[in-house]
Amino acid sequence: MTTLLYTHPACLEHDTGFGHPECPARLTAILNVLRTSPFAALEWRDVPQATPEQLTRIHPQTYVERTLARIPRQGNVALDGDTILSPQSGEAALRAVGAVCAAVDAIMQREASNAFCAIRPPGHHAEPNQAMGFCLFANAAIGAAHARAVHGVERVAIIDFDVHHGNGTQAALEHDPAYLYISTHQAYIYPGTGRRNDRGVGNIINVPLLAGSGSTDLRHVWQHEIEPALRDFRPGLILISAGFDAHHMDPLAELNFSEDDYAWLTQQILAVAAECCEGRVVSILEGGYSLPALAASVAVHVKALMEAPRAAQRSLIKNILQRQKARKNAAGS
Amino acid sequence: MYEFLKYEVRDAMVTNPITIGPQTPLKEVEELFENHDFNGVPVVDEQRHLLGILTKFDLLKAFSLGAQAMVPNYDAIMEQPAEAIMTRDPVSVEPLLPLSRLLQKLVELRTKSLPVVDDGLLVGIVAREDVLKALRRATIKHEIPIHEDSPS
Repeated sequence: MTTLLYTHPACLEHDTGFGHPECPARLTAILNVLRTSPFAALEWRDVPQATPEQLTRIHPQTYVERTLARIPRQGNVALDGDTILSPQSGEAALRAVGAVCAAVDAIMQREASNAFCAIRPPGHHAEPNQAMGFCLFANAAIGAAHARAVHGVERVAIIDFDVHHGNGTQAALEHDPAYLYISTHQAYIYPGTGRRNDRGVGNIINVPLLAGSGSTDLRHVWQHEIEPALRDFRPGLILISAGFDAHHMDPLAELNFSEDDYAWLTQQILAVAAECCEGRVVSILEGGYSLPALAASVAVHVKALMEAPRAAQRSLIKNILQRQKARKNAAGS
Repeated sequence: MYEFLKYEVRDAMVTNPITIGPQTPLKEVEELFENHDFNGVPVVDEQRHLLGILTKFDLLKAFSLGAQAMVPNYDAIMEQPAEAIMTRDPVSVEPLLPLSRLLQKLVELRTKSLPVVDDGLLVGIVAREDVLKALRRATIKHEIPIHEDSPS
């Protein structure tokens, strides 16, 4: 079984204006890496547009219409200081949602082990009724709702390791215990949400990290907070809001993750997925604004996704051998 | 160096410093910083009551990453009035304070300048450079050289 890559040319046409950090070059940098030979086994898939039904599982119909009505015929329109639209932004946003839903369909139907959606605009800041922070539609939350509605998945977990808190994902899912949202993010920066004591209906786990936090802190919170909560939840599908702006070279924040950390974190998530939900993982691109750091981090992230089945097999064999050894020891004593 | 001990803040301060009002836009403050060699500017009302001080540090801080926007918005920040980011109730000194005490204060606070206030009204500003200048002035010619064979 392979890893699927979902992307669409329209995502390169969403033009946020001169010098904007959430730029088409981000996706170009990622796709250039994923076209190289180590990634030859990726199965590239085109994506359909999102359907109104998919969008309105999270957003009111009026919000969808209002947002798409703001798309300019030419030039740029600013929804706020950060969130800029161009003529192709609507198409890009609808393909982004479409990619996530198509990836969820494929993974739930066992067409592949896991998938990565190389899409923009990102989604985790988009609240049901408010576009913000470069985001128009709540890509990850819509994917989670799609998995529940179409595939009957009982519990969907979303792990969000973007450096900013996913206020939109939280706002969309915080009232429904069928979802678990876990976010690591830098405290006190945009959007200012994601406090530790925001727990939704017990289904939100916010892990704010102080500026300067890095590998050690990440491993600590994973081991003590995130992994136990994720396992206890027993998800039927894990979505990743994969932002790479906690990288030490990123200009928009002050966390110090490295590529090794992203590889490690991805492997940890995949290990839980292998145990809980037959490895079903859909990863969705969010932020990451240093082009070299973004490309390198996505590369190790996707590599880990591609190696997941083999890693899971190794882990399974290791477990069997350990159990055999324990039995032998018990019999011998 | 003994001469220096006789100096007071009023002997070293710059009188009639450039000031701004609480409503002065940051854009104009930035131009002041661009055109003058000072690090901070006092904010006063029409009667010259000291309301605050606005330094280059305050201006930098306005552009640091915060909860308001993913990317700090240059134009929106520069349109803000001085009072939005100035340091309120700043440390100030009186004109009759010994300059040696002012030197201690500058070192302790690691600040570059302090406003001088008399009866609540701004009368001057005194900066690191002014104290250095006073040190040089106080020690010129008058200092008794220390000889190796002089009694200790």
